[in-house]
Amino acid sequence: MREALLVAKREYVERVRSKAFRISTIVIPLAFAAVIGMGAFSGKMATGPSNIVVASNDLVLAQSTRTELLRVPTAKDDARGSRRGPPQQLQVEVQAPVAESDLASLNHQVESKAIDGYLWLNVQPGQAVPQATYVSRGSADFFGADRMQTAIGEALVREALMNHGVASSQADGLLHDVDLKTRQVKGGEAVASDASKSFWGAYIMAFILYFSVVFYGMNVAHSVVAEKTSRVFEVLLATAKPESLMAGKLLGVGAAGLTQMAVWITAVLLLSASALGAELGQGGLAAYGVTPIQLVFLVLYFLLGFFFYSALSAGFGATVSQESEVQQFSMILVMPQLVGLILMVYILGNPSAWPVVLLSLFPPCTPIVMCLRMSAMVVPWWQLALSVVLMVAATYAVLWVASRIYRVGILMYGKRPTLPEMIRWLSYS
Amino acid sequence: MNIVELNQISKTYDTKVAVDALSLQIEAGKMFGLLGPNGAGKTSTIRMMIGITLPDSGSVTLFGQPFSRKNLTRVGYLPEERGLYKKMKVIDQLVFLGQLHGLDAATANSRSRQWCERLQILDAIDLKTEELSKGMQQKIQFISTLLHEPALIIMDEPFSGLDPVNTQLLQETLLELKNAGKAILFSTHRMDQVERLCDSICLVDGGKAVLSGGMREVKSRYPRNHVVIDFEGDNSFVNHPAVKEYKAFAGHVEIQLREGADAQDLLHAAFQNAKIYKFELMEPSLEEIFIQTVGRRANA
Repeated sequence: MREALLVAKREYVERVRSKAFRISTIVIPLAFAAVIGMGAFSGKMATGPSNIVVASNDLVLAQSTRTELLRVPTAKDDARGSRRGPPQQLQVEVQAPVAESDLASLNHQVESKAIDGYLWLNVQPGQAVPQATYVSRGSADFFGADRMQTAIGEALVREALMNHGVASSQADGLLHDVDLKTRQVKGGEAVASDASKSFWGAYIMAFILYFSVVFYGMNVAHSVVAEKTSRVFEVLLATAKPESLMAGKLLGVGAAGLTQMAVWITAVLLLSASALGAELGQGGLAAYGVTPIQLVFLVLYFLLGFFFYSALSAGFGATVSQESEVQQFSMILVMPQLVGLILMVYILGNPSAWPVVLLSLFPPCTPIVMCLRMSAMVVPWWQLALSVVLMVAATYAVLWVASRIYRVGILMYGKRPTLPEMIRWLSYS
Repeated sequence: MNIVELNQISKTYDTKVAVDALSLQIEAGKMFGLLGPNGAGKTSTIRMMIGITLPDSGSVTLFGQPFSRKNLTRVGYLPEERGLYKKMKVIDQLVFLGQLHGLDAATANSRSRQWCERLQILDAIDLKTEELSKGMQQKIQFISTLLHEPALIIMDEPFSGLDPVNTQLLQETLLELKNAGKAILFSTHRMDQVERLCDSICLVDGGKAVLSGGMREVKSRYPRNHVVIDFEGDNSFVNHPAVKEYKAFAGHVEIQLREGADAQDLLHAAFQNAKIYKFELMEPSLEEIFIQTVGRRANA
C-alpha cells in the first residue's frame, strides 16, 4: 500500500508539475470554446442578404411582405432557424407596382452590387398564391430563402384576414407565434426544461466523459510504455510488486485527471457567476438540464470508466515495447464509447427502449450511455444500481487480467506477444 | 553467515529452460562473481533471487529466512538495463527510490546529498536526468542502489560505460562496502575485474552452474601450464616438445605447455642458448578458464 501511494504521489506530482499538464489545462477548454464558437460564427455568417428589394405588381402584398421580413424574430423562429440575425442588418426596399418587363433594371442593380438581390412577387389574377422568385448573385441561400418564404406566407395570411374584415391588430394577434413551453418530469414533478438546452447539456457531459476517459486512459498507456522503454521497471520491481506499481499509476494519473477537471469546473462556475456567464448560461448548469444528482453520477461514471479503461490500457501498454505501438490499440479504447456518441440522438429520443437499456448496462458503454439516458429521463434506480454493480465487477475483472499481463509484459521486450501467449501469461506466477 | 542461498532453483519460459537446478551461496562480507556468456541465465537467476519472478521449483533463502518480500528493503539492485525517469530531477528521483526502499523522505534526501558529494556529482543534483551524461546517470543509479544501506548489493555490469577514473571510484566504494560486511553479487563479462574483486565465483552456462567455488580454489583446479619468459638471445626453445603453442614478442614470449609436460625441461632448454631474465609459471587467467569451460560446452 505504501509503495502504491508512493508511486501514485510521484506520478501525480510529476504530471501536475509538467508543462504538458499546464498547457493542456488551458488549451483543451480553448479548443472546446473554439469549436463551439465556430458553430455560432458559421450560423451568423449564414444570415443571408442584407440589402434587398421586394418587387411586385401588388403594392399591398409587397409592403406587408416587407413588414414581415423586418419583424423582430421570436424565440420560436430562433429555434426553427428561419429568422436568424438581427433584423436591422436587413434593408428592404419596395418597388411596386412594377411589371415583369421592369425587372431588367433590377437585374442590372444586382449585377452591379447596388443591391444583394430582389424578390419578385407576381400576382396572377384568379390565383391565391403569387409566383415568388428570388434573384441574387449567389446560387443558393437557404437561410435567406427560408426566411423569405415564411415572410411571404405570413403576408398572404395577413392580407386574406384583412380582406375578410379582420382588424390589423387582431391579425397581429393571430399571426403571433404560440410559445410552446416544454416541461420534463423529474422526481415526480414537472420541471421547466428547454429541449435544446437539455440536449446541449447531455452532449457536453457525454463529450467530457468520453474525452477525459480516453485522454487519461491513453496517458496511462503512454506512461507504462515510457517506464518500460526507459527500463525503470526493473529497478522498481526490485522492491515493489507489479500490482502496487499499476495501482499507484492508475491512482496518480486519475488524480491528475480529477485535478484538471476540477480546474475546469471551477473556471466554469466562476464564469457562470460573472456577468458574461449570466448572459451565456442564464442560470448556470441547471438551465442545461444538469441536476446535482447527475453531476454526482458524472463523477462516479468518470471514475469507474477511468479505472476500467486505464486498467485496460495499462495491460495493453505492458505488451508493447515502443511508444508508436500504443496507437494500435487506442481504437479498442475508443470504439465502445464512440458507439454511445454515434447513437446519441437515438438514445436521447428513446431513453427507455430495451436496446438502449441493455447498452447502458454493458460496462464498456455504461458511462456515456447512462449519462445520456439520465439527461433524457429519470432512469429507474435499479438500473442505475445495476449499472454501477456491473461496472465495478467488470472493472475488477479487467484489473485482475491487466495486472497479470502487466506483471509479465513489463519485463518482456522485442516481439509483440500473441493473444494465446497473453492468455498463458495469466497463469504465470 | 550466508546472505543468499539458492537451492536447486529452476525456471522455464514456455519451452526455453532459463535456469536449471542452480544452487549457490553468497556470504556476508564477500564479493561474489556471477559469470556466464550472454543468455546463460544470469539475469533470470538474479530476478528469482529478489522475487521479480518466482522459481518453478527450488527454494530461495535470503538473510537466513525463506524468501519474503519484506526483506527486499535490505537488498540493493542495480540492473544491467539502467532505468531512470528522464524528466525527473536527480534529487527527486533519488528520494523517490529511497522511499520505495523504506526510507523516510528526509533521510533519503540527506543520504542522497552525502552520496552525491562522495561520488563527485553534487552539481548534478538539481538537474533533470535527461540532461546528464551516460556516466553520470550510471553513478546516480549506483547511488540509488545504496541509499537504504542494503546488506545485500546486487550489481549487474556496474562499470559498463564508465571511464577508468570513475570505474576506479566505484570499485573502491564497493570494496569499502564489502569490508563493512555487505554481501555483494557482481555480474559482469569483464573477467579482469572479477579476478581482481571477487572472493568467489559461479560460472553459469545454459542455466546450469558449470564452475563454482572460491576464486583461489577454482583457479587451483586448473594446471599451471602457462609460461611467460623474458629473455635475450636465441628463441629456438619455442620448438621444444613441451610447448603446445606460443606467442612471440621482442624479448618476450608467452607459452602454453602440453598436458603433462614439465616446465623445468623447458627452462633447461631455454637457458642453453638464451639469457633468461624472467621465467614465470603462471596459473591460467579467469578469462582463459571462462573461454575453456564455456567453449568446451559450446563444442559439445
